[in-house]
Formats: sequence, structure tokens, C-alpha cells
Amino acid sequence: MASPPGPTHPADAPGLSPAAPHGGGKPPRAKGGNIGLALTLPGQIVSILVLVIPLLVALYMSFTDWSPTRGSLFDAEFVGFENYSELLIWDTRFLYAVLRTLCISAVCLALEFAFGLSLAVLFMRRFRGKSLLFSAFLTPMMILPVVVGYIFWMLFQSSGPVNQILEFVLGPDVALEWFRSAPLAVTAVIITEVWHWTPLFFLILLSGLNSVPENPVRAAVILGANPRQVFWRVVMPTLKPVIIVAFVIRTMEIIKLFDEVFMLTRGGPGSATETISLYIYKLAFNDFQLAYGAAAAFLVLLGALGLIHLLLLPVRNQLLEVKR
Amino acid sequence: MSIPKLELVSLVKEYNDGAVVAVDGIDLSVAPGETIALLGPSGCGKSTTLNMVVGLEEPTSGDIHIDGLSIVNIPPGKRNVGLVFQDYAVFPSMTVRQNLAFGLVVRKKGREEIARAVDEVAELLGMVGRLDVRARDLGGSEMQRVAIGRTLVTKPAVLLLDEPLSNLEAAARLAMRRELRRLQSEIGLTIIYVTHDQIEALSLADRIAVMHAGKILQVEKTSLICERPDHVYVAGFLGSPPMNLLAGEIRPGVAGAAGPAFTHGPLTLALPAGCALEKGSYTLGLRPESLRLAPESEAPLAGTVSLVEFRGGDVVVTVDVASVKLDVILPATERPAMGQSVGVDFDPESLVFFGGDTSRRLDASPMGRPL
Repeated sequence: MASPPGPTHPADAPGLSPAAPHGGGKPPRAKGGNIGLALTLPGQIVSILVLVIPLLVALYMSFTDWSPTRGSLFDAEFVGFENYSELLIWDTRFLYAVLRTLCISAVCLALEFAFGLSLAVLFMRRFRGKSLLFSAFLTPMMILPVVVGYIFWMLFQSSGPVNQILEFVLGPDVALEWFRSAPLAVTAVIITEVWHWTPLFFLILLSGLNSVPENPVRAAVILGANPRQVFWRVVMPTLKPVIIVAFVIRTMEIIKLFDEVFMLTRGGPGSATETISLYIYKLAFNDFQLAYGAAAAFLVLLGALGLIHLLLLPVRNQLLEVKR
Repeated sequence: MSIPKLELVSLVKEYNDGAVVAVDGIDLSVAPGETIALLGPSGCGKSTTLNMVVGLEEPTSGDIHIDGLSIVNIPPGKRNVGLVFQDYAVFPSMTVRQNLAFGLVVRKKGREEIARAVDEVAELLGMVGRLDVRARDLGGSEMQRVAIGRTLVTKPAVLLLDEPLSNLEAAARLAMRRELRRLQSEIGLTIIYVTHDQIEALSLADRIAVMHAGKILQVEKTSLICERPDHVYVAGFLGSPPMNLLAGEIRPGVAGAAGPAFTHGPLTLALPAGCALEKGSYTLGLRPESLRLAPESEAPLAGTVSLVEFRGGDVVVTVDVASVKLDVILPATERPAMGQSVGVDFDPESLVFFGGDTSRRLDASPMGRPL
């Protein structure tokens, strides 16, 4: 007897139905919502004071030509989208800062992902000294960015440890002026950033690997897949949401790349390592163009929102799926 | 391709340097095209046995043969043994088609060959219209089909099923059980089927191997195993309700009985004259089907009815005989009332004795006649 093909019994798959019990929408509002409001009110007031109001003020500021040397913000002239058009059309320094940040970010994230994934795969095996190495590998992430910048600034000095090691390995004539050549300065920034944040990728990917269900992997082995095929065809697709979340977290951070660059190069030589954050900082606190800087900051915010949205697009449905 | 034969030879699996013995020297021979069920409670070593056959675990000692050749040193993917997991373990982000094709894709088979094999299996399993659905969107029994189909595509010599129906809800389980029966007869595979559910084992297997604590206690034809349990454990595991088992002793002339009698706590049962059993400790088995109610004065045992369970055509009556509970199966028309005093009678030929020390069934009936 052939049992009927096609859709199965609705009660057939506990926990696998894509539909949520209440249709995947908002949970029904509980009675006594006023208590909820009362309980969150202090938090909401604080967040309005420290987040919403400054944000609105900054937004207003970005439409004026205000500078702290020119009296009150509310006396400043309203210039409409002039700051924005200036930034988008004429300000090549802004454009280059954006492109530079994107390039540095792309290289850093690619390296951090590659190293983080390799380490995570390594840590799925047993070996001696694993727990010690685990703590050691996570340490960089816990150091303040400013301190990391300072440490690497010292390491990359012309007579510093990095050059001493290079001289020892490659001969006495190799003395790199890390902060005087544009490519070397960018390299130094990338090395610093990768050292600092690879642990985050490592940690997220390791927990992801640990939660990959065992049986599909075993099934693949039994079906004849070699370790490489198992990894790329079975493990990696399962990891996809985790990988994307790791990228989102790191993208949000690296777009704001500031501290390490500030400590290492202050954007130099010339503007070779000037990131967006550094440029906005200079606009605001060196040139006192606060309104213009605010406009730049809002453009970056919009860009970052769009970028993260794009990143999340492939796994959005999977992440939002409600499981019973 | 001829259907191969599978043999397990003194297979042992120990963990923690022998501190835990999961599989304790089992021998099993599965004939070509035969379906054998490994039946036992969870933790009895049946899944470990499967894992060794498929190659996920290495035996501590012993050997596994397919058509006389040892496969122990062959890696899992090359043994030509398929395993279907209890939780299906489909690849959730792949479509049904990709799942089915997986075993051939990783073996780098040609595109047309893969397409043909996938279509064939999809046809066999009734999944033709669902080939482009993502596996994570499937229902339980569909996932089950994909898991089976994915294995069949690789044309395994032996198919292992690890509790394949346990995760299904009751209606789907019944349908899938029939589906498996159909597949069995259509493709004629050699199958080892692991389950803790005796109904599944009875309905699907040609023979049943009952496992307990890492050992196979009995391998018997499905049609015979309920009738002829060889071991106390098997007798107490199979059947619904299982055989009434009373551990006790045979002593000569107790409580005024002329010949030898069997005693179990307060219960004494005079054995029929001419009983050939020596005195000693035994376990007495009384099949619920062979017991019947009789007037108290005429029956060897007497007690009160403490429970009556309806099961459609018949009832299971529990009779308390001197604090011992005996299950009796009766036609529904003959059911007694609760609390009624009844006698319990049986045919002496239906008594089954197990050795008190060996737990094995004695070869002869109490009357000395060979069974």
C-alpha cells in the first residue's frame, strides 16, 4: 500500500511548523499594561534624556551652520540640506574617508573571520593546553581599544620590538618606518584591529560550531562525504546565521573605527589612515565645524543602517522564525 | 546485485577502559533480504551495535562481516551500509532534491546519473512533488522519507533503521510503518531495525533479537517469539500483558500436597502427578492467554478480581491470588465483576518453567514431554 504523498498531518512535526501559535505576530497585550509602563518609566526617561534629545538636537544642528564660537545653537542660521549636499558632492576628503573605512573594514573582517574560523575549528579538537590557550586567545578582546592602540604604537616604533624581530629575521638593514609610509601605516592599523577583534569571531564561531547538531554530520559521513565536504556542505550552511550575526556585530563596530587609529597614526601620514570617525572628530574638535560634523555623522548612521540591513537580508526570515 | 548477508561475530564495545560494557559479545547473522529487529529497552546497547555496523564507533573486539568479508577497517562512507536516524538528521538548509542527491554528489557521480537516481527514489517514496521544498519546512514523516530516500539513493548493501518511527505522532507512525513494509517487499533490502517498541518489531521484522544489558538473549522468528520465550527477561518483555512470572521453588510435599509443589511466597501450587522437575529454584511462567477462570472449588488457584481492562474484543483481568497479581486474558463476554471471588485454572501443559539460576527456559514441559 502506498501512503499518500504530499503535505503531512498538521500535528506531524512538533517544533518544525513555520507558523507561530499566534500567527507570528505580536504577543497579545497582557492586562495591567500600566504596571509595565510604570516599571520601565525611569529607564525610558533616562533614555529620552541621554539618547533621544541629544540625537534630535544633533539632527537639528546638522541643518544649521552653527559653530561653538558663534553663540547659541538656536541663533544659528538654518541652512537646510546645505551641509549634506556639501558632504556628498564636494567633500572629497569625506568620500575618501568613507572608502578608506570600507576598504580597511573589508580586509579586517575577512582576516578576522578567516583566523577566527580556523581557531574555532582547531578548538573543536582535543589538544594539550586547550583551556589555557582559550583564555589567552580571548584576552585581546577584553582590552580597551585605546590601550590596544597604545601597545601597538609602541610595538611599531622604528626601534620597537616589531622592527627588532624583522631585523633579526631578515637582516640588519630592514628598519621599517611604520607610521611614515601610507601602505605600512594602513597595514599597522589592520594588524592591530585584527589582533584585537579576531577573538570575537573565534568565540562566536566556536559556540556556533558547538551547537551544530551531531546527527546530520554523522549522516553525511555515512553517506560518503569526506571531512572537507562535511564541513563545507553540512556544517557551514548550519553556521550561516551565526556567521552573519558575527559580521553584523563587527561591522557596526569597525565602521566606528577610531581609538586604535587615533593612538597609532592620528590618521596620518597625510590622511592615509583617516577613517570616517577620525574625520568627523577632526571636523568637530579641530575645526569646530560641529554642524557639518553632525551632518556627516548622520550620513554615516544611514549608511551603516543600510549596510547592516543588507547583511541581514539572507538570514532575516530564519532569525525571525518563531519556533514552538 | 545480489542481496548481501550480514554477520556480527562476538561483537564487544566497552567504554572507559572496560568500566562500561555497552555491547557484551553479541553474535547475530542476518540472512540476505531479511529484516531483523533489535528489540530492547533504552540503554541496552542496540544503538551502539548499529553505530558499530555503520562505522561511527569502533568495536573493542569482535568482527562484522558483509558476505563473509570483514568491514571493521573500512571507513563509514565506504562500507555500503546506510543508517536512518531517529531524528532523521536531514540537512535542513538543503532542498529535498539536494538531500536525496547528497550521497551521489559527494561521490562525484555524473549529473544525469544523480538526476535519474533521485527521480527514482522520489517516485518510490511519493516525494516527486516536494523535491524543491527546503527540508526544514517538511513535516515529520516527510523528513523521515527524505532520510530513508537519501540512504536508498546510495544503494546500501544493508540498511539500518534506528528507532525510525519514535519521533512520529501516532497516525503518521502507523502510515509510515506500512510504508516501510511496502519498501521492504519492493526493494528486498537486508535491514536491521532497532526499536524499543514490540509492536513495531512484531509488525516489521522477520526475526526479533531481544537485547538486554548488552547481550542478545534470544533470536527467534517473529511468529514464534511470543509463544516460545527462551529467557525470563524475554518472557517479561514481550506480550501485552507479558507472561505472569513467579520466582519460587519446587519442594516435595508441601502443605499436604501429595506430590511436589511450586511455592512463590504465600502461593502454593500443587504440580500434577508425574512432574519430572527436580526440587530447586525456578521461575514459573503463566501465559495470560492460557489462564481461564473457573469455579473456586474446582480451580488450583483462587483469588479476587482487582482490575478489569477492556481492549476491544477481549479484557485483561487482574486476579489477586494471595497477594500475587495474575493477568488473565478473557473474551469480553466472559468478564467477571470487580471484587468477585474467582478460581484460576490452566492446562498443566501450558506451564513454562525457567531455571532459577540460568533464567533460561527448561527444554521440557513439567510433564517430562519435550516441547
